[in-house]
Parts: sequence; C-alpha cells; structure tokens
Amino acid sequence: MKKLINLYTLALLLIAASLATSCKKEYGNLNSPTVEDYLKNASKDQLNGLISGALSGMRNNEGTYLDAVSVVGREIYRFSNADPRFVTELLGSGSTTLNNTGFYITNPWASRYRVVKNCNVLIEAATNSTQISAEEKKGYTGFAKTLKAYELLLNLNLTYTNGIRVEVADPNNLGPILNNTESITAIAALLDAAKTDLAGATISFTLTPGFTGLADAAGLIKFNRALAARVAVYRQQWSAALTALNESFFDLNGSFNTGVYSVFSTGSGDQLNPAFFPQNQAGEVRLAHPLYVTNIEVNDDRIGKATLRTASVSNSGLSSDRDVWVYTSSTAPIPVIRNEELLLIYAEANIQTPNLTAAVTALNKVRNTHNLPDYSGAVTQPALIDEMLKQRRYSLFFEGHRWIDMRRYNRLATLPVDRTGDDVWTAFPIPLTEQ
Amino acid sequence: MRNLMNRIAGLLCILLLPCYLLAQEKTISGKITDGNGVPLPGVSIAVKQTSMGTFTDAEGKFKLTVPSNASIIISFTGFKSQTIKAESLQTDTQLKLEEDFAKLDEVIVTGLATTVKRRNLANAVGTISSKELNGVAPAQTFDAALNGKITGAYINANSGAPGGGISVKLRGVTSIFGNTQPLYVVDGVFMDNTATSAGLNAITAAAAGGNASTQDNPSSRIADLRAEDIVNIEILKGASAAAIYGSRAAAGVIIIATKRGKQGKTKISFSQDLGIIKVRKLLGVRQFTEQTAGSLSSNPATSAALKQQFRDAQAAGKIYDYEKEVYDNTGFTRNSVLSMTGGNEKTSFYFSTAQKKEDGIVNGTGYRNTSLRLNVDHRINDNIKIGISTNYINSSADRGLTGNDNNGVTYSISLSSTPNFIELHPNEFGAYPANPFGASNVLQTIALMRNNENVNRFATGFNVEAILLKGEKSTTKFIGRGGVDFYNLVTTALFPRELQFQAVNKGTSIQGSTKSLNTNYILSLVNTFNPSDKLGLTTSAGITQENGDFNNLLNVATQVAPGQSNVDQGGALSAQQFRNKFQNQGIFIQEEASLNDAVNLTAGVRFDRSTNNGDAAKFYVYPKAGVSVNLTRLGVMDEGFFDNLKLRAAYGQSANFPAFGSKFTTLVASNIAGTQGSIVNIQGGDPNIKPERQTEFEAGIDFSVLKSKLNFELSFYNKNIFDFLLLATVPASSGFSTKFVNAGDLRNRGVELGINAQPIASKNIKWTSSVNFWFNRSKVTKLTIPPVILGSFGTSLGSFQIEEGKSATQIVGTDAPAHPSGLVVLGNQEPRFQMNSFNEVTLFSKLTVRFLVHWKNKGDNVNLTNLLNDFGSTSADYDADANGNGVPDGPERIGGFLGGSARGFVQNSGYLRFREIGLYYTFNKIPGNIIRGIRTGISFNNFITITKYAGYDPEVSNFGTGFSTGVDVDPFPASKRAMFSVTIDF
Repeated sequence: MKKLINLYTLALLLIAASLATSCKKEYGNLNSPTVEDYLKNASKDQLNGLISGALSGMRNNEGTYLDAVSVVGREIYRFSNADPRFVTELLGSGSTTLNNTGFYITNPWASRYRVVKNCNVLIEAATNSTQISAEEKKGYTGFAKTLKAYELLLNLNLTYTNGIRVEVADPNNLGPILNNTESITAIAALLDAAKTDLAGATISFTLTPGFTGLADAAGLIKFNRALAARVAVYRQQWSAALTALNESFFDLNGSFNTGVYSVFSTGSGDQLNPAFFPQNQAGEVRLAHPLYVTNIEVNDDRIGKATLRTASVSNSGLSSDRDVWVYTSSTAPIPVIRNEELLLIYAEANIQTPNLTAAVTALNKVRNTHNLPDYSGAVTQPALIDEMLKQRRYSLFFEGHRWIDMRRYNRLATLPVDRTGDDVWTAFPIPLTEQ
Repeated sequence: MRNLMNRIAGLLCILLLPCYLLAQEKTISGKITDGNGVPLPGVSIAVKQTSMGTFTDAEGKFKLTVPSNASIIISFTGFKSQTIKAESLQTDTQLKLEEDFAKLDEVIVTGLATTVKRRNLANAVGTISSKELNGVAPAQTFDAALNGKITGAYINANSGAPGGGISVKLRGVTSIFGNTQPLYVVDGVFMDNTATSAGLNAITAAAAGGNASTQDNPSSRIADLRAEDIVNIEILKGASAAAIYGSRAAAGVIIIATKRGKQGKTKISFSQDLGIIKVRKLLGVRQFTEQTAGSLSSNPATSAALKQQFRDAQAAGKIYDYEKEVYDNTGFTRNSVLSMTGGNEKTSFYFSTAQKKEDGIVNGTGYRNTSLRLNVDHRINDNIKIGISTNYINSSADRGLTGNDNNGVTYSISLSSTPNFIELHPNEFGAYPANPFGASNVLQTIALMRNNENVNRFATGFNVEAILLKGEKSTTKFIGRGGVDFYNLVTTALFPRELQFQAVNKGTSIQGSTKSLNTNYILSLVNTFNPSDKLGLTTSAGITQENGDFNNLLNVATQVAPGQSNVDQGGALSAQQFRNKFQNQGIFIQEEASLNDAVNLTAGVRFDRSTNNGDAAKFYVYPKAGVSVNLTRLGVMDEGFFDNLKLRAAYGQSANFPAFGSKFTTLVASNIAGTQGSIVNIQGGDPNIKPERQTEFEAGIDFSVLKSKLNFELSFYNKNIFDFLLLATVPASSGFSTKFVNAGDLRNRGVELGINAQPIASKNIKWTSSVNFWFNRSKVTKLTIPPVILGSFGTSLGSFQIEEGKSATQIVGTDAPAHPSGLVVLGNQEPRFQMNSFNEVTLFSKLTVRFLVHWKNKGDNVNLTNLLNDFGSTSADYDADANGNGVPDGPERIGGFLGGSARGFVQNSGYLRFREIGLYYTFNKIPGNIIRGIRTGISFNNFITITKYAGYDPEVSNFGTGFSTGVDVDPFPASKRAMFSVTIDF
C-alpha cells in the first residue's frame, strides 16, 4: 500500500515538475525579422536594412504612378491587353470616371505609404537604439524624414484637392485626411525638420549609386533642399524656392542629370525598371501622345524620347506611331529629382519674382543644351511662363510632371481631348479603404 | 489549479480505503459462437476490475483460471457484451453472442484516457469499421476512403490527381482563414496533415490572377496512411465531444486505431488486388468544320490559312481528339498486403507490409505507397502493460500538371485552346511541333515534365498503462500516451528546356524539401471508483504537450543545363524558406459518473496555452459536459415497444489558432543595388490576436425497436464560432494592406439521423443496412468589418462573400443586365442535405455483396472550366444552340460573361454516387492444413454517378482543402476503379 502511495506521489511530482519547467515559451517569428524586434534596440546593420528597404520600396508601383499621371496628363498612351482601364477610366472615355478601387490609385497610394511606414519604423528604431551616436541618429531620422516627405508628395500629386493623411505612425489611430494646402504645408515642414536633423549629422549608412556625389550629410541636405524647392514652387513661394535652390545641388552650368535616382538591377531580390518596354513591342505598349511630336521645335534633340515605330498602334480610337523611349533599358534609373528640373524651377521662380533676365538665361541654358537656339519670344511674364511650361514638358517628359504643371497653372482645359466625351481629370479619388 | 489539487486529494482518500481481494480460484472454459453457431475467434474474456483475461482461439474456444467470485466480461466487436458471474460458468460452457447492430456495446474513446460504451454516450460519435473503410471497394488513398462514410461531414475531393487531396469538414464551416480540417490522431500520435506546395506557381503563375493562392493542389499528408492497417475510426465532430483535445479540436478529431495482435496461433494473411483505373467522364471536344476553323481568326489571310490547314488535316485523316488522348488511358493498379498477428498471454503483435502501385489516367502520372507496420503489446506484470506502434511509409505521387494557370501550360488549360485539326504529335526525330494556339504542346508537356511528391514518414506511438492502486471498489491507473510523427517530403518539378513554354526560362527545376516533426504526449491518472453496483465514478486528470516543427525549403532554378535537374546546374536560382514551430500545453480534468448503468454524467475542463496565441503564457479554458439518460434501463419506460431509449445532451468548447505569425508585423526582404533591405510586410500583425473560440451544444435521442433490429440515432447540434479570423483590408495609409482580425461570429446548425437495421436475418440470408441523413446550415451572426469577398476569382466569376446575416458559404456575383449594379446571391456551396446508405447482404455465409451509395442534394460549385473552353473556342457544345435563339452556345455564354453576369458559372453540383460496390466469396473448407481460408472479390469504386453537373466531376476544388472548396478550374479529371482481389489466410 505504502509503495503504491509513493508511486502516486511520484506521478504527482512528475506533473508538477513538467508544468514548472515548461513555463512561458515564445518561438518568435522564424521566417523573417519583426518590427517589434527592430524597435527594441536596433543595431546599425538593422537600421541600414531599413534604409535599403525604404529605397527599394520607393520603386514599387513607380511604373503605375508614371503611367497614371502621364496618361491623365496626355503625355503618353498606355495600351494593355490585360487592362482596358488605361484607355477608358484614365482618359474618361464615355461615362467612365476614375474609380476609388482602381489599381492606378490604390497600388501607388499603398506603396508610397508602405515606404512612409518603413521610414516611421526607422525613425522610431533609431530613436530607441542605444547602439548609435547622437549624430548618427540624426543622420537616420533626417534621411527618413526626407524620404517620407517625398513619398507623401507623390501621393498628394495624385489626390491633390482630395488630400492625404500625414500622421500615419500609429496604424490603429490614423490621423485625419488633410486638405491640399494643409498637406503640402505639412510636407514642407517635414522637409525643414529633416534639414535640421541632417545639419551636424553623421551618415553611417551606404546609399545606392542613385545618390552618387550626394551620399554624405552635406549631399543629403542638398537633396533635401532640391525637394524643398519643388514643394516651394508648388506652393507658389517663389523666394523660398530660390533660397532652397541655393542650398541644393542646383548648378546652372552643371550637368542636367546630376541628382538623385531610383536604381534598378538584375541582382537577387532586386527589381527591374517597370517603366521600360522594348521598342516596337506589341500588346503591352507605351506610346508618346501624337502632339508631343507635333508641338516639338525643329532640331530639338528631345525627339529622341519618342522614337518612331516600325508600325503604328491603335486601340479604342487612339493611335500613335512613336514609342516612349525615356528609360532605354530594364536597369535604367528613374530620377527622383535632377538638375534639369532645378534649372526650370530657377527659371519659374525668377519669372514669378519677377527677374525675367535670370529666367531667360536659365531657359536658354535648357534650349541650347537640347540643340535649340536662344529664346526669341517676348520677354514678358505670360510669354515666359508658356516657354517655361513647354521646356518642362519636353525636358521632364514621362518623369511625372506635365499633368501637375498644367494643373497648378490652371491649364488642364488646354490639354488635348482625343475622343469625344473624354475627360481630363483634376485629381484621383482617395482609395475606398481609407473611408 | 486548486480544482486539480482537490481532485487529487479526493483520489488519495479513495485509495486509502481498505482493500481486499482474496478468493478461491476456479478454471472456466468453453466455446463462444454467434447466433447461428459459427465459432467466434478473438472474443475477449476478461475478469472485471483486473487485468486478467484471454481471447478465444480459431475454434472459438477459451480457458482461463479466475477467482471463483469474479465477474467475467465477454466482449467482441460487433456483438453485445455479456457479464457473467464465474460461479455460473462451467468447463465446456457454450455461449452465444448476440449481434449488436446499433453498436450499443461499442467502446468509444471519450476522454484523452477514458472510454465509454456507446449506449452511455452523450454525443453522436461516428465510427467507421475496417470493413466499411476498406472492405467494399478500396480507394487509392486513406483520405479518399473516408468519403461518403461520415454522417455530418462534407467531404470533397480536390481533383482526380493521383495521391489524394481531400477536404473533410465536420458539421459545417468551422473557420474561414484558420484550419478547417480535423485533427487526426493515430494510436495516440497526432499526425500532421499539411498540404505542402511543390512550387508549381513558378511555372503556372496561377497566383498572378484574381486570387493570390498558388493553386498548386498538393496532396494532404494524411493520405499516406494505410487503410488496411486500420481497425476502427471514431469521429468527434465538434467541441461537445472533442473539447478535451483543446485548441486543436475545433474542426473535430478523427481518432484512428490500428490493428493489434491477439493471443493465439500466429495467423498470416496475404491479399493481392489487381485492377484498372479509367477516367470517369470526359467533357468532349468541339468538332471543327472548315468554316469554324476559319472563324478562329478575324484576319482574312489567317482565316484562309486556317481553312486550308483544316482541309489538309481532314484529307490526311489527322483530326484528333486530344482530350481523349490525354485523359482516356487505362491505368493498371496492384496492391499487395502481407499481415501477421499472434501472441501469447504476455506479448502480442501485429505486423504488416504492403505495397501499392497505381498508374494514373494520364501518362506519366501515378501513385506508389510502401508501408511497414509493427504493433506490439506487452504485459510487464499484472499491473503494467505497454503498447508500441511503429509505422514506416514511403509514398510517391506523380501528379501531372493540371488546374488553373496564367501561362497556358497546364494540360487542361493547354487543351482548352487546342483545336482538333492541328498536329501536336512528334515528328520522326521525336521533336514536338509548337502549338500555334497555345503556350504549350500538351503532348510534349506530358512526355517531358515531371511533378513528383515523395514522402518518407515514420510514426511511432507509445502507450503505457499501469495500475497504481487496486481495491475492490477503486482502481487507479497511470496512462501515458505519446508519439512522434516525422516525415521528409521531397517535391521535384522538372520542366526541361525543350518544352515550348521554356523558351525564355530555358529549363526550370523546382526542388522542395520539407521536414516535419510532430511530437505529443498525454500523461494522466485515471481512477475508477464503484462504491456500489449502481454507481460508477471515473476521474481522470493529466497534462498534455504537443510540439510541431515544420521547415520547408524551395529552390527554383531556371536556365538549367540540358538533361540536368540539380538546382546548381541552373543559370539563375531563387530560394524560399518557410518555417513553423509551435508548442501547446494542456491540463485536463474529467469526471464521468454512471448511475445504474442508465444515467451518465460527464464533465471536464481543459486549460490550454500555445505559442501560436498572441499571449503565449495565457491559459485558455475549454469546458465540456454531457448527460445521457437511458429511459429503458432506468426503468422509467417498460421495454415494450422500445428495446432501448436514450436521451442525451452535451456541451463543449474548443478553439482554433490564429494563423502562424499573424501576431507579428514582419519585415520582408527587398534588396536594392546589391544591399540587403528590409521593408514592412503589407500584412500587419496584431499582438492581441485571439484564437477562434467554438461552443457546441448537441442533443439527441437514440432508440431501438423490433428487438433491436431497427435502431435510430437522431441528433441536433448548434455550433457557434466566436471571434472568427478574417484577413481584413485596412486603410493603406497605415502602411499595411491587410491584417488578421477577430472579425465576428459564425453559427452552424444541423440535424443528423442514423438508422441501422437488419431486415433479414435467416441462417442463409443476412442483410444489414444503415441509412444516414444529415444537413447543416451556417450563418454569419456578427461581422465587425464590411462584407469580405474571398475564395474565388472575384464577383464577375462568382465568389464567396462573408456577410452578416447570411450563410457563410453563399456564392455571390454580378448579374447584369437583370441586376445592372450590385451583387446577387447566386448559390450556396452547402448541400441542402446528404444521405448515405451502406448495405451488406450475405448468402449462405459465403457470398457477400456490399455497397455504399452517397447522395449529395444540391450545393453549388463555381464552374469556370467551361468558360475557359469557350474562351479557347473548343467546348464540345460551342456550336450547339440549346435554347434555339440562333446564337451558338459558346459565344452566347461568353456574351453573358462580358455582359456582366456570373450566373452561368454557379452550378448545382449535387450527385448520387455508388461510391463502392463489392462482391466477395469466401472458401473456408480448403483441403490441407496450410490454407485456412480464401476470399475473392471484385469491386467497383466510383463506377456509377448520377449528376447534372457539367464539369468533369462535381467533387472539385481548385484551391485545395481550405475554406473555398468547389471552385472548378480545369482540374485533373476524376477516375473510376475496378478491382479483383484475393485474400489467403494461412
């Protein structure tokens, strides 16, 4: 009997022991790192991974963004066998309108906010990290804020008067959708805050070849100010634009292509340029709007951005015989901002100041570089605005500017309407999921 | 915890009661037969409350020395058990056992360590005997053998591809994004049933379309099991029966017992099956004419060329039926099983080895399964016995390439655009021509590709029962069970560079390797206490632990060197890895009380925690309780009309885990310019994610009439799932697109009716029959987010929609022009009801006919196969005009789709199917001493199906075994089987 009781006690002990030893257990996520891990006390390598991730994420749906604004802005036609909406909803054919579930708004919108999220994680992780110096911390937060401002600006370009959300750090408690003025003011403030961080910062992360020459703290401030100049002209703050240009990499005599780019490669896990299609392709094509050629001046070398096809392509009553040839390989970079735009911002700010002589100098710089003679039109504010917008049209073709430029000068009504009943849209709707 | 302590203190008190068990001994012996005097071998003769016992031999004889005051329990599966006082037994006792059609004396496992007889059960627990599972017309795989045999289940085959792939849903939809499939427990070992994709999406790009699922259609791993080794299956359909299994029991538990050895002479049995497999149905192909061939192009020049091509093909007699050529082959099957059982009073064993090899209906496809099993039971002494089950399985399935794809490469999608007048056959040098109407030449694909799943699996279970304390009235046992299930799955998908669609990739090799290790144990103490003859108390308490470790590595190599398959022979390589690991811990306590063997009360509770939950340290509580009252035994009712009348009710709770990793917000790889980058995943995590919680209430009435020749079992259940998980769309400005949320509540209600009868029982003719009827109705009772479209390709093609107040399995879609905007309910996947009937007729104890018929009434599929054939202009009725409106049916159907109506795709998939028909003859008087008996038989599986469904088979699932079964996109056609078998007993 006693022996049996002992056995019983033994069994009880066994149960108690196994419960005591197998206390709380957590396996974590085995397949990828988690945000929660990074927020605790991130190492420099982890923070650098977030930087690369953000730069990589900036390219997601970049092709869709360029297609959307360029089709609405009547720069290009985009024909696709898989999706008719490029020639219906984006051009407002018949009674079709832009849809708040359409891929042309939901996909770029989500991709931009995903990068914003990554930047917010980076800011929080860098702030919590005890493994980096205060200067390095400023480097991370300053750069993250700059990227965040740029991504928000791209979404505001799409939704314009419908606005964007700026406060999105807490996914369970998103800030309100701000109107256009509030949004762009917030973006400008974010760029300024980023500049403050970058001043006196140490950059301990490696950037892509897209940042060549601008990859240190001083260079990043120049990049930040270039974006600030763009935002300033959008806000019609002309002197602020000139101030920002002075602190940027703007160089009246420098290469037009100096600047910051999204880069592509065939490496493992990397992406190819989504805005590249080979010439003379069938099915999936991007074509220059016929008026691009009609309106171009003789000898303008920018005709090379719209090469003649072996055969023209038609779709739904639209037709063109020229391919878009801006990105000429699957690894060609896409500019974020470059000196040629800064020259034109300089011209624009000076036209508006007004300082017409300086403006003409800059415009001639652009014209001459593209194989055109000096500007010979009237040196008046309205005439120069026309000339500046024309140069922007050809210099920044298929870089995502035409529609926004025409909008801010209230000229959307002057864009060509190719088919009866087509519409030129002013703004994309806010995606359905935000409502 | 305090509860447990009190319980155990109680147990200790009981143990301290004085015990005495001293008596004189006597020897009993005799012969046991059935009602017709046929000797019954293997009948258990056990002394009540001891571990003493024996079995009858081949002649039905037994001999045992017992205490003279003992009670002897005589029991045998399928017969009513008897309890007899040893005093009344003599040497040479002749005993007849009565057959138990209602299976009232069947022992059912109700706890993790305790059992109860069916007559006292509070739940309707389904059982499948070895005869029902495998004794009529054997299916290819174990999972297919379950089909049509479980009352209350909706079982659906994903496709006809060799190697299985079956969805089993017990009592309706238990989860939408979580696990919908039951837990399989074999001899105490929790078996893994993951379906692991072979990475075919790299070839088919099926996920690039309207649904992100890879649609690779892998087989479920439970298909590896050998039906021949199984003696009995119990099905706990919901939480009221299965709560004691805790967090893994929400979708039900299928408890499988394999065959075990018995004391007596060693018996050797060998059986051999030979058979054929044919396609069950073909859809037919369009018969082109010169005119219709020309109409394949709107370009005049091309059209003229096509007409010429048709004329040439016709003149050369080269009009083909490629569907027939691909699917209408005869597959040969063979299956050999050698088994041995035997043992003495201490040790017994069951051993079997088997090999099955089956060709598929498509060349190059097939299934092979080789297995070894050894089950050993041993008594160390009168108080301790152990049991070990070991099983090794090697299975290999060549599954071909079928189903949805966006690259035009699967057999079926390629066929859908291939007209009958083009040449796909190889030339005299063996080179296949390119298919001008599609991305692939199906004959070339079949000849050159390979898609194989190969599994090596070990499962070992261990069982120990030790009597710790034994008194006259109280017995305490320690029961420990556990085991290991380990497999290594190798998937090989090879697409050589010669293939038409490999022009860009220049040879693709996809090699997957998966290791899965599952271990579990249950340690429990069980006390049975019988203070008097009228009261029995069984108390059990214990702990459990389950561990899982899953690791899948998938390599995709392209530009593979000619003739090579190793991934390092590729020019470009990409890799994916997925790991999953969990640990669950449980504590359970259960009390069962029996009054007068007529009233039974059960109450139990399980505390569970898991690393899968948001809070891994938190214990969730899953209670259960049940009561059954046998009115006839209680004496409330006279045993007049009713031989047996029982009322029962049971309640229980269970849960389903959140998807692995859904509590984390992960960072995924996104590289740029050669540097490693991390970016937040588009799926947000929720650290507060909760398990789906299920409560089930079940009530029923069981009764027998006409001297138990007619037995009824009627049950009603109400199953609520709270906080079910949905992948919800969130505002994209949060940085995330989706997130798992506990989105609402779901309800399933249903009725199950089972009837067992023995209409004829004469000496020469015996007919037993069972008929079951069941249905389920589901409803989303609460949804905290907007309605969610899921499970198919979008509303223009018909899709499921989770919506408050509606059935969880409703199918909605657009329906213009009748409804110009918005969505209309077009159907429901749920059958209106199902019925089955199993019958066995035995003539002169020699000739036996068995058949299983299964009727699924209504229930809709989303059938897109026909649409794809219409798009490819190859459907058999493309040029027909069924409604006589002058528009050919093919263009008319396409017009309906383009006009915005999904109505045509939602089709009734009801069927009446003679799943299994078997005819067996037994020779039992064989001259000589070596062979004791020979059984021969012929059987037919899936031979007769009556359905109006227009696809290959009403059972289909493009998305595998998850929530959305019944979507039909060019599947591997279903097959039928005919088999001849011989079994020889030595």
